[in-house]
Amino acid sequence: MSIDPQYIRNFSIIAHIDHGKSTLSDRILELTETVSSRDMKEQVLDSMEIERERGITIKSQAVRVDYRAEDGQLYHFNLIDTPGHVDFTYEVSRSLAACEGAVLVVDATQGVEAQTVANAMMAMNANLEIIPLINKIDLPAADPERVRAEIEDVLAIPADDAILASGKTGEGIDDLLEAIVYNIPAPVGESDAPLRALIFDSYFDAYRGVVALVRVVDGSLRKGQEIRMMATNTTTLVEEAGVRKPTEVPVESLGVGEVGYLVTGLKDPAQVKVGDTITNAVGGCEEPLPGYRDVKPMVFTGLFPIDGDQYEPLKDALEKLSLNDPALIYEAETSHALGFGFRVGFLGLLHMEVIKERLEREFGLDLLATAPSVEYHVYKTNGEMISLHSPQDMPDAAEIDHIEEPYLKAKILIPPDYVGAVMDLTVARRGNFITMNYLSTTTVEMLWNIPLSELIMDYFDQLKSRTKGYASLDYDFDEYKTSKLVKLDILLAGKPIDALSFIVHNDKAYDRGRVLVEKLKGIIPRQMFEIPIQAAVGSRVLSRQTVRAMRKDVLAKCYGGDITRKRKLLEKQKQGKKRMKSIGSVEVPQEAFMAILKVDE
Amino acid sequence: MKIPGGDILEDQYPYKALYLHIPFCKSKCLYCDFNSEAISSNDEAIERYVDDLILQIRAASRADLLGSLDTVYIGGGTPTHIGNKELSRLLYGLSLSMHLTPEVECTLEVNPESLTEAMVKDLFALGVTRLSIGVQSFDDEVLKTLGRAHDAAQAKRAIELAQIRFTNISVDLMCGLPGQTKESFIASLKTAVDLGVTHISIYPLSIEEGTPLHGLMERQAFAETEDDLGEYAAEMMLLAQEYLETQGFHRYEVASYAKPGFECRHNKAYWTGKPYLGIGRAAVTMKQNYDERIRMMDSQVQEELSRPEYLVEDLMLGMRMSRGVSVKFAVQVDEEVPGALDAFKELIDSGYVKEVDGRFEPTEKGWLWGNALYGRLLELA
Repeated sequence: MSIDPQYIRNFSIIAHIDHGKSTLSDRILELTETVSSRDMKEQVLDSMEIERERGITIKSQAVRVDYRAEDGQLYHFNLIDTPGHVDFTYEVSRSLAACEGAVLVVDATQGVEAQTVANAMMAMNANLEIIPLINKIDLPAADPERVRAEIEDVLAIPADDAILASGKTGEGIDDLLEAIVYNIPAPVGESDAPLRALIFDSYFDAYRGVVALVRVVDGSLRKGQEIRMMATNTTTLVEEAGVRKPTEVPVESLGVGEVGYLVTGLKDPAQVKVGDTITNAVGGCEEPLPGYRDVKPMVFTGLFPIDGDQYEPLKDALEKLSLNDPALIYEAETSHALGFGFRVGFLGLLHMEVIKERLEREFGLDLLATAPSVEYHVYKTNGEMISLHSPQDMPDAAEIDHIEEPYLKAKILIPPDYVGAVMDLTVARRGNFITMNYLSTTTVEMLWNIPLSELIMDYFDQLKSRTKGYASLDYDFDEYKTSKLVKLDILLAGKPIDALSFIVHNDKAYDRGRVLVEKLKGIIPRQMFEIPIQAAVGSRVLSRQTVRAMRKDVLAKCYGGDITRKRKLLEKQKQGKKRMKSIGSVEVPQEAFMAILKVDE
Repeated sequence: MKIPGGDILEDQYPYKALYLHIPFCKSKCLYCDFNSEAISSNDEAIERYVDDLILQIRAASRADLLGSLDTVYIGGGTPTHIGNKELSRLLYGLSLSMHLTPEVECTLEVNPESLTEAMVKDLFALGVTRLSIGVQSFDDEVLKTLGRAHDAAQAKRAIELAQIRFTNISVDLMCGLPGQTKESFIASLKTAVDLGVTHISIYPLSIEEGTPLHGLMERQAFAETEDDLGEYAAEMMLLAQEYLETQGFHRYEVASYAKPGFECRHNKAYWTGKPYLGIGRAAVTMKQNYDERIRMMDSQVQEELSRPEYLVEDLMLGMRMSRGVSVKFAVQVDEEVPGALDAFKELIDSGYVKEVDGRFEPTEKGWLWGNALYGRLLELA
C-alpha cells in the first residue's frame, strides 16, 4: 500500500555555501531519531570524504524522515539535500522540482548573499513554499533582526515568522519540523494516471548497476514493473524500489508524492539522466515532466599523469568516476610536453578541483593539470565551425574567420563601499556592466556580462580579496559572442611548450605574456644551462626572460657522519624532482602549469 | 659501561678505522654547523670529556674492537684547542689500547691559533703521523669575514711548525666565500703549495640554515648572492684542479688533492665501505656484515641499509673518487640490484661518467654536477 500523500512533505534545504545547511540537516535526522546519535557522523548526508572535508555537498541525497507531529499524526518527510555550489545549478533545479517546499537558510551573522538570492529565485520559480530560517543564532555576532529585514527587503519573502535556529545547539529545530508540516503543501497527483516520476539524481553501484533517485508525480512504481526513460527512450524492469532512511529499505511500491530509489538494472549511466521522466513502458504518459536538459561541461583542462605508467590507471579512474557523474566527460589528448593524458570537461572550477582531488586521493594518481580553458567556437574561412577545448587544436591564424567565446550573466552582491573595486576588477577582465540595484542599504546587486574564460582565471579569489571577503557571486551561461582571440605560446629554451599555451584576448596578450614569463622565471629552477623563456603570438615574441645557468651542484664534504646527511639530501632532491616534469632537457615544476591562473595584472 | 660500537650485528666485520671527536673550539666560525662548542681551553669540561674518551677507548679495546684498525682520525671541533697536556693524555691512552705503530695512519686536526712547537713534537712522539690544518684561506680579509680565530701569518707559521716533524701535512682551503676573488683564491693555493704541503682539500662554502652566515646572507650583508657564490665556487674548483695538477698534485676525490703517496687512507676507508668506529659526542659509527650496514650516533641507530642499499651506496661513494668503481664491481652489483649497469650506461650517455680501462670514472661534468650523478645511483635501491 502506498502512503497517503496528505501525510507526505517533500522539501529541500537551500542556502549560500557555509550557511550551515548540512549541520541543520544532521539535526533534523537526529531529532526525529532517523539516525541514532550514536551513528551520527558530522554531516551524515555528505557521505563522500571530500564533501565532508570541504563541507560542501556535491551529489544530491534524499532521506525519508518519519516525524510524529504535535497533532499526533505521523508524517513522512523527504529531505532532499542539494548541491550548494553554482557549478551544480542544474542538479539543484531538478532536486527542487521534486519538492513542494524549501527551507531557506540564512546565516545570522552573514545575511543574504548571492547564492541565497539565486537559490531563493530558483525555489520561487519552482513554485515552492519557502520557509525562511535564520541559522547560527548562537553566535555572538548573530544579528537576526537585521537578517530578517534583509530577507524581506532583498528577497521579498515575508520573514515575520522566520524560524530562529542553531544547527549547532539544536535550538529551533522543533519549530522547523512543525512549520514543515503546516506550511509546506502535501503533494498532489493522480494515483490512477499513467506513471510519471522525475529522476533527480542517479549513481552507479558496482553490484546493482545504475540506481536512480526519483520522485513519483502520478501513478506508482513497483518492483518488476516495466518502465521507460522518456528522454533516452530506454526501457527496463524495476529490480527494486525503496526508500532511504538513510539506509536503503525496499518497499512494495512508491506512490504519488513519494521519494525513493530505484534499482534500474541498467549498466550504462548515460541511459539514466538527471531530469528525465520515467513512465510505463506500455501505456505511458504523453508528456514528460518539464525542465529536462542535457548537462554540458563548461570548463576543460588537460590531466596528465606525472609518471607515464599511470596513463592506464588514470583512464580506469576517469571511467569509474564518470559512472557516477554524467557531467564529467573526457577524451584522450597527447601533448608533446606532457605525453599521453586526457582533456577533461567539468561543470565549473569547483567540480574540476573536486575531481582532480578524488583522482589523486582515491586512486593514488599523481597528476598534472594544465590551465583550464573553455569551449571556443572557431569559425573557419571555409565555413566550418570547430568546438575548441584545447589551445593545442587552434587552427592556423590564416584559416580562421572569427572566434566566439562563452559569456556569462554574473550577479555580484556586495556592500556599496566595494562597487568601485568590483568595477575596476571586472572591467579589467573584459566584463560588460549591465546594471546595478540597491537591494537594501547594505547590499548592492551588480549584473555583469563577462567571458567565462576570464572568470576561471582566478576571478573569484580576486573578487573576494578586493572586497575583504564580502562579495558573493552567482552566474549562469548567457551566450556565445565574437571576440578577438589569439593563441599565446610559451617557449622554453626555444621550444614551444604546448601544455603552457593558452587562448587570450588580443588586447591582453602582451600583459599576460609579460607577467607569465616573469612568473615562470621565478618558478623554473636554475639548471645546468641557461633557459630562455619567451611568450609569443605566432612568430611575434612579446616578452623574454632568462633563467641563469647553475655552474655546480655537488656537496664536497662527505666523511663518516656526513654520509647519512648526504643520502637524506639527495633523497630530498629526488622527491623535489618527482614533482617536476622533464620537458626536453628542462625540468619544469608542476606549479608552472597553473601559474597562468594567478596572473594579476 | 656501555661499549661504543659493541656488537648488535652478527658476524660483524672488524672496524678498520677509528674516529675520535673533540667537540670544542676557541670560537665558533660563522659558517659552522658542526657539533662543537666554544669554551675556554682551561675549562674543566675538557678534562672530564677526555677522561670519558679514554674510558670508552679502554672499553672498546677490552671488547676487542680495536685490533684491526688501519687508521685513526682525531677531529673536531678543534683537537688542538684542548692543549698539549690533554692531547698527550688521550694519545697515551690510545697507544696503550691499540697497536699505534707507524704503519697506522693517525691524523690530527689542527687549527693554526693553537699549534705550538712542543705540541708538534709530542704529537709525533705519541704516534700521530699526519696533521690536517684548517687554514681556509691565506687572505686576512676573507678570514675575518668567516670569523676565523687566526690570521694568514699564524697559518703560515703553523705549517712551518708542523714541518719540524711531519711531511704528511694537509691544508683545508675554502672557495666561493663572500669577498673572495679568484686572485685571492689562487694566491692561497699557491702559498700552500709553496710551503710544501703534501695534501690539499678544497671545500666550496655551503651555507647551512641556522648558522650566523645564513642569517647574514638572508639580510644581504654581502655583495654576492648565494647563487653568485655558487657560481664563483664552481669556477674556483675548476681553477684549483688546473693549477694543482701542474704542481704535482692529483685529485683523488671531489674535494681532495694529494702528492703521490699522500692520499688520506682514513677518508678512503669512508668511501670504500670499510666499517668505522666513532667515539665521542656525535661521532658516527658504521657497522657492517654481509647483509646490512648500520650507522649509529650516540648509541642511536641513524640508518639501516639493506645489502642492495649499501651496495648502491658503495657505487655512489666510489664515484666521488677519481678512480671511480671497477666495471667488474658494477656487474656484481647489477646481479643483485637490477638496473645498475643501465644507470651507468645512462650516466655515460649524459656525460657524467666515462669508462676507462675497465673502470667507471667521473667526468668533469660528473665532478661539478655530482649530486645528479650520485642521486641517479642512490635511487637504484
